[in-house]
Amino acid sequence: MNDNVILSVDGLSKTFRLPLKQQKLEGGNKVKLAVDNISFTANRGEIFGLLGPNGAGKTTTLRMLATLIKPDSGDAVIDGVSVVRDPSGVRGRIGFLTSELKLEDFFTPNYLFDFFSGLHGVPEDVRDSRKRALFARFGIDKFAEVKLGNLSTGMKQKVSIVVSVVHDPDFIIFDEPTNGLDVLTAKTVTDYLSELRAEGKSIILSTHIFSLAEKLCDRVGVIIDGRLVALDSLAALTKGRPLEDVFFELYAEAKGGVS
Amino acid sequence: MNAVLAIIKKEFRRFFGDARLLLTTIFMPGLILYVVYSALGLVFENIVAETSTPTAIVVNMPSVLEEDIKSVVEVREEELSPAEAKAMIAEGELGLYIVFPENFDDLTAAEGQNAPNVEIYYNSSSSASSVGYSAVLALLDRYEQSLANVFNVNAGGGLYDLAPSGSASGMVLSMVVPMVLIMLLLSGCVAVVLESIAGEKERGTIATLLVTPVKRSYLAVGKILSLSVIGILSGLSSFLGLIFSLPNLLGGSGVEFDLSVYGPADYISLFAVVLSTVLVLVSLLAIISAYARSTKEANGLIAPVMILAVICSVVSMTVSAPPLWLFFIPVLNSALCISAVMAGALAVGPVIAAVCVNLVCAALLAVALGAMFNSERIMFNKA
Repeated sequence: MNDNVILSVDGLSKTFRLPLKQQKLEGGNKVKLAVDNISFTANRGEIFGLLGPNGAGKTTTLRMLATLIKPDSGDAVIDGVSVVRDPSGVRGRIGFLTSELKLEDFFTPNYLFDFFSGLHGVPEDVRDSRKRALFARFGIDKFAEVKLGNLSTGMKQKVSIVVSVVHDPDFIIFDEPTNGLDVLTAKTVTDYLSELRAEGKSIILSTHIFSLAEKLCDRVGVIIDGRLVALDSLAALTKGRPLEDVFFELYAEAKGGVS
Repeated sequence: MNAVLAIIKKEFRRFFGDARLLLTTIFMPGLILYVVYSALGLVFENIVAETSTPTAIVVNMPSVLEEDIKSVVEVREEELSPAEAKAMIAEGELGLYIVFPENFDDLTAAEGQNAPNVEIYYNSSSSASSVGYSAVLALLDRYEQSLANVFNVNAGGGLYDLAPSGSASGMVLSMVVPMVLIMLLLSGCVAVVLESIAGEKERGTIATLLVTPVKRSYLAVGKILSLSVIGILSGLSSFLGLIFSLPNLLGGSGVEFDLSVYGPADYISLFAVVLSTVLVLVSLLAIISAYARSTKEANGLIAPVMILAVICSVVSMTVSAPPLWLFFIPVLNSALCISAVMAGALAVGPVIAAVCVNLVCAALLAVALGAMFNSERIMFNKA
């Protein structure tokens, strides 16, 4: 495998069982194909963007990469570790941020940082210096002992980001990281993603916000209805046109029209 | 193992750091039990006090019975017509109206005649009157038997009841405690387990733990151990409330309440049984909670467990000499052991069997819980 490749996804597929009534509507199909034989690679030190409309299969793909769910077929290898054969090994190497993963409102950012550091086996001195740096970076230090339930949505998201990288992972998965945030907080998040890349971290980012992808991503993959319909560097894909226009074209090709 | 400790510490911090949770799960159950049972005891005592001295008017009091009758009822020396007396009984102003035939002594001494009739008017809706009625009836029965005395039973005045002291309270406890203790332990466990597993699943906080490299079996063990400790504390609170209120509750019943009859072996057995029972209950509830999609659904799903616990407790009350195989059924074995310990009939073999069976059962359930944490269909099934 090319040393520069940190993530190699090979024929990943995932189906979900449909409820009985829905099965009838879908002509007797018992399952829905959420992700259909997706393959791509992501390189070290770059931000890979997974683009697509709601329900296209972006989050399902990321959940398989994060080993929260198992692929029906195919595999993904992150930094030499297979999500199918060694899910626990993958979990120790990645950071995963998604709206689905919540932190308990009862605890303070300070405690949560320590707790998750403990679960990742981070030594205490490393943990403390990392916590100081991250809390200062995101302005959490002023709220370090306030229960999460009393923090604003933006501050909660910042704490979630910080907690997802307590173990300083080389590979980070961000699922819609700026959803529901105001422009200021969103900017803090996108600036942080750029900083991580500058540190040499590899990031896979899912979003349906094209301006965000244009600003951040080195390479992008476009998912529509569970299938990867485009995969290229951002520059090669857009050729100077707005990403949104390119996406509408791809969508029209895949679905036979934008409706 | 560090991960198990970290999970346990987090659960404790969550629980003990929350004053309200602490109040409702640990302090309230014991306090409520104590107050309710003590109040009940007070009510019973008042009823007993009220009925202690029924009054009576006796017509033609036979001299041989005078002393005995005066020992059970307060005899009022009033001249009343039968109609007046009956009216007073109906209104509850008088307990009994007893009419002996004239020359009762002569009639009972003479053989071969119609037996004389004693009339006792009473009011069954008044507790004083009915207690007096029973007492006088028993007294007359005894007198009747003494007239035609063929043989006596236990008439020597010696100590015939050879039960060790404290046995009477032991019998009461062996009936009451298994049922109450198991239900209290269960309700204590339900509150914390549902919140910690179904609640965390519902809120999406358990998923955050699932993306850490911690083994899911460690997560299961950490949850079960920490929740068991909290469950035991809750059960202990209820148990203390019960134990301290029992003297008040039994105060009016005449049962001497004596905890000193229980030795260290009894307490150690009780503790081991309770501990193993809580592990089984917590594991079982944890599995139900992990399966449920919400706390609400989990609350519905635990109903069968509640019913099974009641059945186990009731069986333990009715089986007097349980065969050994009954001790191999989890929870039922606990109820039987608790009952035996309370009755002062502790046997080491069944207790060890019960504790081992419960521990193995809890371990198997913990493995199952770990497997459930590994199952995306269970952990990510949306309502």
